Formats: sequence, structure tokens, C-alpha cells
Amino acid sequence: MYEKILVATMGEYMDEIIEHTLNILTDKPVEIIGVYVVETSVPFLTPKKVKEMMGTELRSKGEEILDSLAQEFQSPSHYMVNFRRVLLEGNPADEIVNLAEKEEVDLIILGTGKNIVDKKLLGSVSEKVVHSAPCTILLVRTS
Amino acid sequence: MKYLLEIVIYIIALVISLIIVVKSADVFVDNLVDIGSALGISQIILGVTASAIGTSLPEFGSALIATLSGSVDIGVGTVIGSNIWNIAGILGISATVAGVIRTNKQGLTRDWMMTLITGLILLFFMFFGDINWIASIVMITVYCFYLWLLIKAERKNKQETVVDEKDRDFRSMDQISPEKKSINKKTIGFTILGLLGLIVGCRILVFSAVELASIAGIPEMIMGLFTLAIGTSIPELVVTLSSAMKGLHDLSIGTVLGSNTFNILIGIGIPALVMSVPVEPLSLSFDAPVMIFVTILLMVLIRTGKMKLNRIGGIILIATYISYAILRIFIFS
Repeated sequence: MYEKILVATMGEYMDEIIEHTLNILTDKPVEIIGVYVVETSVPFLTPKKVKEMMGTELRSKGEEILDSLAQEFQSPSHYMVNFRRVLLEGNPADEIVNLAEKEEVDLIILGTGKNIVDKKLLGSVSEKVVHSAPCTILLVRTS
Repeated sequence: MKYLLEIVIYIIALVISLIIVVKSADVFVDNLVDIGSALGISQIILGVTASAIGTSLPEFGSALIATLSGSVDIGVGTVIGSNIWNIAGILGISATVAGVIRTNKQGLTRDWMMTLITGLILLFFMFFGDINWIASIVMITVYCFYLWLLIKAERKNKQETVVDEKDRDFRSMDQISPEKKSINKKTIGFTILGLLGLIVGCRILVFSAVELASIAGIPEMIMGLFTLAIGTSIPELVVTLSSAMKGLHDLSIGTVLGSNTFNILIGIGIPALVMSVPVEPLSLSFDAPVMIFVTILLMVLIRTGKMKLNRIGGIILIATYISYAILRIFIFS
């Protein structure tokens, strides 16, 4: 049914996201784009060297997460999957929506599981994506 | 009316000088690292030193300038107050907002032990009255030892990363090799500008704090313990909070513990090299013990949270800070 799927993760809920993605696959060829967004914004007065260090750490974390996705989706048992990895920098919700528009994907898969306190204090990427996504979204509910 | 106007002017001067101090410290460290890099100093040594002192320069500058200009209470107050605020205030807020701060057992044990030992060293020398040059030499030596430990740990970490990257055939060695740049006039100019900004900013900051204390009838120690301590810890707050929110837990907790070690060993150690730093009795009997108490409380909360500082732990830390502030300002002062 879906020919091009965008799987977005910030490193949380990885197992659940992978499981739900695999569950909707059929024998038909499908392109899966794994995306991790390095959130580069820092508060005013953050030392420049620390900002650089944060960027390096987050890029390295992102590469590890994309490695895990690649390992799962490129395994021989998932022969129908053509997996691509994308590492972006910026606002996670904006970048996910922009990439979905640019790649003309059919489906975005992301996780959601924050409680109301976390949502108030930290914000929610999935909620922002839901409001401006150009396609269908599968929100994986996690504990 | 005249007093009110003066208070407003000094508060504005305090805020502006704080921004100047924090930005100048950043420019100074940033360009100093470039110069160090051009001189061929190892990236590991530069990186560790820059991150260790980068966020703590405002406290150090304020403590040094305050002590040298005769406002010793503000100097000592800024250092001890910063250390209490860093753990109880900043880590408390960060854990409450981020929900959880995870810890790396090895790094946490090293940095926490060093913070505790540092607090005990300060308390030990405070028992003998003024902190003199002997204490200063011990403190600076201990800090050099801590830096050596950090550099050793970072070197080991980098070596392991190279092995991992080679296995994955993913990145090349040049990403961790020293990157040698040439020293240009702009870099030297910005280093001097950063240093000047730091000195001038700290001078205005201390002056505004002393004048505000005098007009409002607040003891200088209280100004140091709270106003300057919280103000000069802005870099620690933004780094700890944003890294906790981004899931960079090691950076989050490491910034606070590294800063606390630096604040005492260098923030009091260097001024004590130049002149004897007098100790207020209440600092010995209350402030320094509270500083050690919150350091121990932090570890207890992390241990009970299975090596994580969770939201409840964060709220307990904030409540501890508020209790300390109320007791110190309204009861003991």
C-alpha cells in the first residue's frame, strides 16, 4: 500500500517504531527513509565551544541511531526494503515535514509517549508534525 | 526616589556587566583554544581544559576581582554560592524539566569524588582561619591532578572511538587528529578583547553588587552567595539544561561537577596565592557544610534513582536550595 515511508526517530521508542514499520510491510517493494534530526538550537549565552561539542555529540548519536535502523531494515529477511538514511540539522518537526514534502513520501512513522508534564516542559515533535504533515502519519504509542 | 533610581541603575549595570562577562569569557576561551591549536597543543588537552574552564571563568573572574578589590566576602560568597546553586538549583531545574538525567558510572564517580574532596579540602583549610598561600598551592596542585585525570580519560575515550570507527569503516582518523591552524591577528585581537571584557565586566559587576548591597542594606556575603553566584552561573545553567533536554546526559552532569571543582580550587586557590583570603564564621559553620551536604545529597538521589537523577530528585534539590536561601537570608544573616 505504501511505497515510500519516512521513519523519523530521535533515538527513543526505536524498538516499537521498527516493529510497527515492519508490521505494515507487504511483499511489494518499498522505500524507507530513516531520518534523524540534530537539534542545533541552543539558548543565548551558551559558550561557542560547548555548542560545537553538543553538535558533534548529537551527530554521532544520530549516526548510531541510523546505523541501528539500517541494520534492521537492510537485513536479508526484509529483501523488499530499499533503505536510505538522512541526517539533518535544525528544528526536528520542521525538518521532518520538509523532508516528507521534498521526498513526496506516502507515510510518516514516528513515536509518541510523553506524558502531559513532559509535553508541557519539553514540547512534542510528533504533535507539531501532525499539524503540518503533507501525508498520512502513523503515530506509534509507546509506554 | 533617589535611592530607587540608584538601585535601578545598579541593577541594569549588573545585568549588562553579567552579559559582558559571560560573552567575553566565551570569546576569550574560544580564541585561546585556536591559539593553543596553532601552537600544536593537543586537541584533547585543549578540549578538556576549554570545557572545564569555559563555563567557570565568570565565577573565577568575579571572585578574583572582588577579592583583589577588597570585597572578600563577595569573592568567597560567589564561589560557595555558585557551587550550592550549581547542584541544588541548576541540576534540580534540569532534572525537573528534562524528566531525567542519566549518569555514566565511571565519569560520575570520578567527577563527584573530586567535587566532594574539593569541598572537604576547602572546609579543612577554613578551620585554620584565613586561606593562605599554602592552601593555594595544595588547591592548584589538586586541580592540575584532576585535569590530568580528565585528559587521561579523554585520551582513552578517543582511542576507543578510533577503534570503533575503524571497525565500522565510517570515519577517517583525521577527524580526531590535531588540526593545526595559523595564528592570525584577529585571533590574538579577540583573545585580548575577551580578556579585557572579562576584567572590565567583572569589575563593573562587583562594583554594582557592592553598591547595591550598600544602598539596600544587604550584607556583601549575601550578594555574593545569591546574586553573583546565580548570575555568573548562567553558562552552567544554559549548558546543563539544554544538554539534559537534548539527552546529552554526560555533558549535563559533567558541566556542573567540573565547574564546582574549578570554582573552589582555582576560584579561591588563585586569589589565595596573591593574598590571604579571610573566612567569615558563618561560611565555615553553614555555607560550606551546606555545599558538602548538597554534593552528598546529589549522589544519594542518583543512587536511589538507579544511577539516574529523576524529576522527584530534581524537585528535592530545588526544595533544598529554597530552604537554604530562606535560612541564610532571613534567619542566619
